[in-house]
Amino acid sequence: MSTFFAEHAWLVPVFPFAAFAILTAMGKGLKRTGAWIGTIATFASFVLSLCIAAERLAGNSPDYSNQFEWIQVGSLQLHAGFEVTNLSTLMLVVVTLVGFLVNLYSQGYMKNDERISTFFAYVALFTSSMLALVLSDNLLTFYIFWELVGVCSFLLVGFWYQKPEAKAAAKKAFIVTRIGDLGLLIALLLLFWYMPGHALDFTALHNVFDTQSGTISEGITTLIALLIFLGAVGKSGQFPLHVWLPDAMEGPTPISALIHAATMVAAGVFLVARTFDIFEASQVAMTTVAIIGAFTAIFAATIGLAQNDIKRILAYSTVSQLGYMMLALGVGSVTGAMFHLFTHAFFKALLFLGAGSVIHSVHTQDIREMGGLGKKMKITAWTFGLGALALSGIPPFSGFWSKDAILTAALDDQPILFIVGAIAAFFTALYMARLYFLVFMGKPREGQHAKESPSVMTIPLIVLAILATVSGFVETPFNGWFGHWLTGDETEHGASGLVMVVSAAVGLLGLYIGWLMYVKGSIRRDAVSSRAPGLVTLLERKYYIDELYHWLFVKPLHGLGKALELFDEYVVDGIVRLSGYTVSGIGRLNSRLQNGQVQAYALTALIGIVILILAIAGRRFW
Amino acid sequence: MVSVQTLTWSDAWYLAPEIVLSAFAILLALLDLILPKRVNRNIIGWLTLAGLLVAAAFVVSLMVSLGGLTDTDSAPSTHSLLAGSYRIDDFGNLLKLVFLGSAAFIVFFSLGTVRDEDVPIKAELYYLILPAVLGAMVMSSSGDLITLFVGLELLSITSYILVATRKRSRLSSEAAFKYVVSGGVASAFILYGMSFLYGLTGSTNVGEIAQRLGTAVESAEALVYISFFLMIAGFAVKLALAPFHAWAADVYQGAPAPVTAFLAVVAKGAAFAMLYRIMINTAFLIPGTDSLISKDVVLGLSVLAAAAMIVGTAGALRQRNVKRLLALSGVANAGILLTPLTLNLTQVHASMFAEFLFFLIAYAFMNIGAFSVLTMVSKDAGNETLSGFAGLYHRAPWTAVAMTILLCSLAGLPVTGGFFGKLFILFGTIQSQVYWLGAILLATTVVSYAVYFSLIRQMYMRSGSTDSSLRLTLPAAVTIWVCAIATLGLGFFPVPILEGIKEIFAIPTDLLFLQG
Repeated sequence: MSTFFAEHAWLVPVFPFAAFAILTAMGKGLKRTGAWIGTIATFASFVLSLCIAAERLAGNSPDYSNQFEWIQVGSLQLHAGFEVTNLSTLMLVVVTLVGFLVNLYSQGYMKNDERISTFFAYVALFTSSMLALVLSDNLLTFYIFWELVGVCSFLLVGFWYQKPEAKAAAKKAFIVTRIGDLGLLIALLLLFWYMPGHALDFTALHNVFDTQSGTISEGITTLIALLIFLGAVGKSGQFPLHVWLPDAMEGPTPISALIHAATMVAAGVFLVARTFDIFEASQVAMTTVAIIGAFTAIFAATIGLAQNDIKRILAYSTVSQLGYMMLALGVGSVTGAMFHLFTHAFFKALLFLGAGSVIHSVHTQDIREMGGLGKKMKITAWTFGLGALALSGIPPFSGFWSKDAILTAALDDQPILFIVGAIAAFFTALYMARLYFLVFMGKPREGQHAKESPSVMTIPLIVLAILATVSGFVETPFNGWFGHWLTGDETEHGASGLVMVVSAAVGLLGLYIGWLMYVKGSIRRDAVSSRAPGLVTLLERKYYIDELYHWLFVKPLHGLGKALELFDEYVVDGIVRLSGYTVSGIGRLNSRLQNGQVQAYALTALIGIVILILAIAGRRFW
Repeated sequence: MVSVQTLTWSDAWYLAPEIVLSAFAILLALLDLILPKRVNRNIIGWLTLAGLLVAAAFVVSLMVSLGGLTDTDSAPSTHSLLAGSYRIDDFGNLLKLVFLGSAAFIVFFSLGTVRDEDVPIKAELYYLILPAVLGAMVMSSSGDLITLFVGLELLSITSYILVATRKRSRLSSEAAFKYVVSGGVASAFILYGMSFLYGLTGSTNVGEIAQRLGTAVESAEALVYISFFLMIAGFAVKLALAPFHAWAADVYQGAPAPVTAFLAVVAKGAAFAMLYRIMINTAFLIPGTDSLISKDVVLGLSVLAAAAMIVGTAGALRQRNVKRLLALSGVANAGILLTPLTLNLTQVHASMFAEFLFFLIAYAFMNIGAFSVLTMVSKDAGNETLSGFAGLYHRAPWTAVAMTILLCSLAGLPVTGGFFGKLFILFGTIQSQVYWLGAILLATTVVSYAVYFSLIRQMYMRSGSTDSSLRLTLPAAVTIWVCAIATLGLGFFPVPILEGIKEIFAIPTDLLFLQG
């Protein structure tokens, strides 16, 4: 029942922030030492997070929160503080663990980069902001850190800013997520306006929307929930704002693992889970979340089938899996969403780091140019294989259990969503099979001298592979421990034999078809493309969404920009120039006055007083 | 008839700060005569500094003993001497502390900075500061037109000499001459205006004038108008408000830098003190009329404030000489400092003195700091133009950073004392619904960015003629950093300071002579 570690939870984000400060202050002189500073700081955070988790696992500790008055303007008070709940503890452990492993891995991956200390500084800043976001006890500070992780993502996607693609991707990531952020901001303002006492802390939100429902009208509640969801859609790459996430793969691969797979993109899911009471108060919002989630899951999985860039396949897979989490939330299962977030963080980070290991070795990202790497990179191949099995939802790997939880909840709520989810699961297994078999099986390419990565890179892979394998056992249909711990509900889902069988079957079927196509060759690879070339092109071009946005938004906005530029040039600049002339005219008048003749000064003073008296006093005697 | 009241020994305690300054001034003048030529006159500078600090200590202990610092609700923490012609109250005491503190900083940074070749009579530069500050203190503490005028002349005449201490410089002599003429014009205006007041009311005591002004207005309204506007014109010259400001640039340029800082801070602050004493007690509170005159006086002052802000800022834009630039920036700042006074007392706006004093303190720090930097830079470069600052960041990065803080404060950027000073005054204009003045304050502030940023650009983005690092004397370095940090401190804790001033100061007891 102790809260000793929880009371010191604020230290968790402080460690990486200190690392960021040191790395920024000491600058480039540090090189390798700098990398270690970042790694050790994250490790310290991880240890502390583990202590907090142990403390909370030991007994039914009450949620701990600590806040102080931040700003007071008149009668308006704003509070800031942190809150330790089981939900935030889970996120702390995930973020610090993946963060630590990614730090370790980057020591090898980024070894030869000139700006390695800058890289670690950014990563430390990101980790710190992400942890602070998780710990925030109110929406306002949550929003501030939400934006801060966005900035870090921008900086890291564009880390290799010499590459024009990286620059463009960073810009795109920033702008597209801004659309979602705007929604969140409006939701924040609406809440501020409507909440009793302008309270924005999560406890007050819970009280108002859960226990005293009706304080805020249903229409406004729906509006607020949908706007919050818009924020989550932007951050978590849900349709239709998913377009930035695959492009964000231009960043260094460890970043893709940390930010764009395990942590930041999951922040949208975390946001919805954190404000779940608002969603529960609005059926419309719940349905929207479920449908968008399910659609994104299947939509992104189909795109993943036709991509050739290893990281892009994984990116679309991430979008698709985040869709699953949203689907879980939409059908009312916070446990399912957070469980999948938990397992996904491990196996997707593993897959990205594995992909990084491959790229590090063969210097290409195109899977058509790879092959037979399994023999030369044994550890990478094995761990990647375990991750792929987890993602494909093959029992008993972690992904199976979490996907099963989601599908069970979907079946209870909306059978049609269950079917969509199951089909998406089939596609998931299929694209993973294609990816794995093309990269690791078959004949090695000529002229490729692949070799296994150094141990700083393979150790994180092994750790993550173990977690990807076993982390699913915290919540199985036979053991609802995780869900109980997380939400306090006794039994959220009972065993559903049907779901388990279907889920395992579609996964295995996907793998089998993939095996037939890419290893055995009994189904020709161009079986689909020869019959329906249009379909494949459609998938390859990602349903032409980017092109659509280009014509729908980018071009018109460019036009508007041009028009505004003209307005700026002629009207605004004209006014500015006019003011400039006026000011310098007065200045010139002043110089003429200051001609150095003291008698002129005295005369001016005399004229000044006469004018003053005549103008102000004189009008009384007119 | 008021019976003549003479000073008694018990009054000496209340006049202790003034007595200390006089004693030090006389003794140091004698010491300068006695000491052999070879003895470095810096010793007199240190003693001057000691005199200023002792006087400041007495002011503080007076405030404590009168209860001005501790108890605000009880009986007025004031003491009246010589039948009300001299008053010890929190208005005077707070301003005295500002004057003494500023003068102490100015003397401190000139130690080791002022060179014999430039100012051959260094000792006089130091100890003449004492009677000048004494004059300023009399101006802030007096309730009688005659005493006020004596204080004004004491300050002015010593300032004329101080401006001329660069004896070998033609520019300095010319500046002193111009200052004498302009100062004479100002004194003449003020004295002429005062004589009308005396003629109409038969008293030189500000409190009595206020009581009798009502009847005077009925009999000779036009003369009352002329009286007030003559005084306003005189003060406008003293404060360098446009269009009465032309002398300022010439005089600031010619005077030694410490004296320039003294003129910009202490002389200007003292003129404001006197303006407050006279205007609030008389023109603002004329009994028994519909107070048309009050409104017109307020309007006249606000027009002057606006003109000063506009002309000062616009003029500064065209300056290449940094001393002249700071002189014109001082014109604009005088307009800002005048603004709280022009916001009518009768309305909700009762915190005008706190706003004025807050900005005055911020203004003192940023000006003394900026003039210290300017002194060091111009001494090194051999001229006072903007180009002397070129590449300062590469030659003395820390000094450049300090100067940047000071310039940001002058420009009114957060988080500095200058920003909050302007912000409080701007709030005052909005509360009093004098929106046009607020708008001018805002507009001139924006334009002034161009002025101060041109300096910052020189420091960081231009390369100078030399790469050798700029060496600072220790007193100058200390002064610059104390000013920069104090400027930031005012920016980080603006509200406690403002509230502290409001706590100490209450208009009815500390500024008004009329009771009830």
